[in-house]
Amino acid sequence: MDRMFTVFIVDDDAGVAKGLARLLRANGYDVQCFASAIEFLGRHDSSVPGCVLLDVSMPGVDGLELQQALSADVVSHRPIVFLTGKADVPTSVQAMKAGAVDFLTKPADDKVLLAAIARAERQDEKARREFAEQDAIGRRVAALTPREREVLGHVVAGRLNKQIAGDLGTVEKTIKVHRSRMMAKMGVRTVADLGRLAEKVGIGGSMANG
Amino acid sequence: MLTPDRVRCFCLWCCILTGTFLSGAPPAGAAAPDRVLLLHSFGFDFSPWSETATSFRSELLKRAPRPIDLYEASVFTGRFDKPQEEASLVGYLRSLFAEHRLDLIVTLGGPAVSFAQHHRSSLFPSTPLLMTAIAQQRIDQLLAGENDTSVALSLDLRQYITNILRLRPQTDNIFVIIGNSPLEQYWLAELRRQYQPFAKRVNFTWSNNLSFSDLLKRAANLPPNSAIFYFILIVDADGVPHVQGQGLSAIRAVANAPIFGFGDYELGQGIVGGPLNPTRVLGSRAAVAAVQILQGEVPRKIKVTPTGFARAAYDWRELERWNIREDLLPPNSIVEFRGQSPWQQFRWQISLVATVMLAQALLILFGLIQHRKRQAAEKSLAESEERVTFTAASMNVGLWHYTQGTEQLWSTEHCRKIFEVEPDAHFTRESLLRLVHPDDRRSAAVMFREMTDGSASAVREFRIVLSGDRIRWIRARTRSSSDHNGVPEKVSGIFVDFTDLKAAESEAAVQRSELAHLMRVSVLGELSGAMAHELNQPLTAILSNAQAAVQWLSREPPALEEVRDALADIVHEDNRAGEVIRRLRGLLRKGESKTEPVDINELVESTMSLLHSELVARRISAATDLHPGLPVIMGDSIQVQQVILNIVMNAMDAMMATLVGQRRILIRTGFDEHGFITVSIRDSGTGIKSDERRLFEPFFTTKEQGLGLGLALCSTIVEAHGGKLSLGNHECGGAEAVLLLPTEEYRIAAQ
Repeated sequence: MDRMFTVFIVDDDAGVAKGLARLLRANGYDVQCFASAIEFLGRHDSSVPGCVLLDVSMPGVDGLELQQALSADVVSHRPIVFLTGKADVPTSVQAMKAGAVDFLTKPADDKVLLAAIARAERQDEKARREFAEQDAIGRRVAALTPREREVLGHVVAGRLNKQIAGDLGTVEKTIKVHRSRMMAKMGVRTVADLGRLAEKVGIGGSMANG
Repeated sequence: MLTPDRVRCFCLWCCILTGTFLSGAPPAGAAAPDRVLLLHSFGFDFSPWSETATSFRSELLKRAPRPIDLYEASVFTGRFDKPQEEASLVGYLRSLFAEHRLDLIVTLGGPAVSFAQHHRSSLFPSTPLLMTAIAQQRIDQLLAGENDTSVALSLDLRQYITNILRLRPQTDNIFVIIGNSPLEQYWLAELRRQYQPFAKRVNFTWSNNLSFSDLLKRAANLPPNSAIFYFILIVDADGVPHVQGQGLSAIRAVANAPIFGFGDYELGQGIVGGPLNPTRVLGSRAAVAAVQILQGEVPRKIKVTPTGFARAAYDWRELERWNIREDLLPPNSIVEFRGQSPWQQFRWQISLVATVMLAQALLILFGLIQHRKRQAAEKSLAESEERVTFTAASMNVGLWHYTQGTEQLWSTEHCRKIFEVEPDAHFTRESLLRLVHPDDRRSAAVMFREMTDGSASAVREFRIVLSGDRIRWIRARTRSSSDHNGVPEKVSGIFVDFTDLKAAESEAAVQRSELAHLMRVSVLGELSGAMAHELNQPLTAILSNAQAAVQWLSREPPALEEVRDALADIVHEDNRAGEVIRRLRGLLRKGESKTEPVDINELVESTMSLLHSELVARRISAATDLHPGLPVIMGDSIQVQQVILNIVMNAMDAMMATLVGQRRILIRTGFDEHGFITVSIRDSGTGIKSDERRLFEPFFTTKEQGLGLGLALCSTIVEAHGGKLSLGNHECGGAEAVLLLPTEEYRIAAQ
């Protein structure tokens, strides 16, 4: 019952890493261990689905810094579960605010730990799905001609064909043609659907500002 | 009592004598000398006539072509009121010149002229007459004949007064000294007449009606701004004659006003001076005229203008006396008797005396000062001795003093008190040694031997046992002074009873141990966070492994390999935790310091592992460079670890402000050529700003939360191990602590 999900353990204490690895493997996860944040950043493969099980106090780059480094990576969105011996409020608050899945203290109960990992897994899955979706939409948008692209923007903004024609300096008839071609390329029938798609890729909002 | 008869007799004798003296017997056959008769008016000694006569005589004898036979006689008309009996005198004179021709008669003064004219026809019908010492106005009154001539005085009497007023302008009262004889009365009237114009300015008083003693009294009590004009004094109101000089000197002795005189002979006798009757000049002139007559000149043809005042002459001494400024004197004056003040006269004598006196005074002063100084010195010495004795006693110090030659031991009272020796009991080296504690006797004996050998100053400590088995600690310090041969002759020293100090010391040692323990506990407190973390790691590992093992076991089939590995790891982690606990326990343990072999490298490593999590938390990278195979040191490993721990924690604290990437600690061990193990702990912090000495002071801290006891305690521990702890700045930045600990071999060698 192996899940295709890897837990990347980043902890400088070898004993702890080994123990955790064993536990996770016993629960069907793939595990990769890294003794330092640098090592992790250097070697991990962002296409592999997985999460990071991260210690905070490590020499060199510590856990929180690694979290920051990862959040800058748009592609990977690795969810992070903190597991640390140094548990103080400021650290935990910072970690959670920066988007950690959970912040656990050592020694951690296995059930608590696994629950956190599962949550991370789901989050990762969801993130990937969304990312894939966005990717697809983005490709569709990229296939539009510049004119169609413009029309898309105006339609999403709720402008009537007549109005769009006026804005773009052309006739309604032309607009209608662009519109139907655009809708086909985008794979939607209703304006509402289009709006949803557009929103997903960040197109939309008021055109009034231009 | 002067009676006329007596005076005549006297006069007679004078004549005879004078004649005898002056004439002498002319050699027979020689040309006959000129005979001259000098006829006085008042006697022979009355001024101014006598002075004129003296001048005349000497000049005549000088100038005369032929020897002069001089005779002198006197009438006394001028002195007495009643007409005299002149007959006898006439007779005498006649008899005198019966045999011999008289060649010249010279008269001095008016009365003599009267007499001569009266009796000329009977006495000297053909003898020429020379009148002198007479005022011109009197001559005018007398009838002068063919055979007469005169050398007279013409004196402006007013000049006497103007002189007084010129020199003493403040004068408003002039006391005129003048006698009461008929002649003087004549002159008194003359003076009054002449001085009338001065009456407004000056009050004149006359002495003519005063006895001489009254006159003197008056002269002595004149009102201020007075002057005395001594005109002439022949006979006073009592009828007493005053020969030349007498009156003046008597008056001068008592006068309280300046005396202005009449004639030139008075200058130097106490008169201030001024225009003066020129008797000398007059006499000379008269003599010249006399010679002319003797040489055959017709008297009538000899016309001599009356003689007036010579240059005004002053006595400098009187000017000084009466503070009369010389610039008041008339131009062309003569100042005589210009004397030197006593200072000027005896300048060098006075200087010499003054110098001698000064030298004497200085010597005396010097002597006094020395004496005073010595007294002060003696006093201060006595005080100082007293102070020393007192101070020594109050510090529980006994002073002693041992002379080689006499084998005498002198000691202060307090010294005896320390050893509880009776004041009258013998206190010798032997009795001292007997009091020394048996264990220390050898050392004390050495000390005494050194004393007499004259070795350098030594400090020794020994115990003495007093009555009741009381033990006191004594510290002795000796010093010997040698004579010029280098043989020690005197040994002196002090004994200090420092029993109390020693008690305090041991108490302090106990307290230090307690404090060390406290320190460890507080250090642990600081470390508790780190401790928790240190324990947490193995615990986490154990838990994970155990939970994993359970899961592996529940698989179908159970993954026994995994389980075995898990259990092995659990054991390993457990040991790790145990180590940490053990170290913790060690730090917590209280107790006396142990002396056991200690491996420094191992200590360093365990300290670093204790601090591992803390180092990581603070982002400090720590490195060690441990010299392999270091010899062991004998000491208390816990205490030494305490020191290393403290220093490393200080180093960590020092780097709080340093940039994260630059926080480094380097610990290096080794040993130096002196046989010391060296542990050097370097950080890359801010370095040491304070004075190194202060860092080791108890309660001195640069940390906000610090107690300030760490380094003080550390250096105590290190020194107790025979080592040294130093702290300084490294040249590459940051601080470096160097711990030196002696190896066992070195310690043995040192003993």
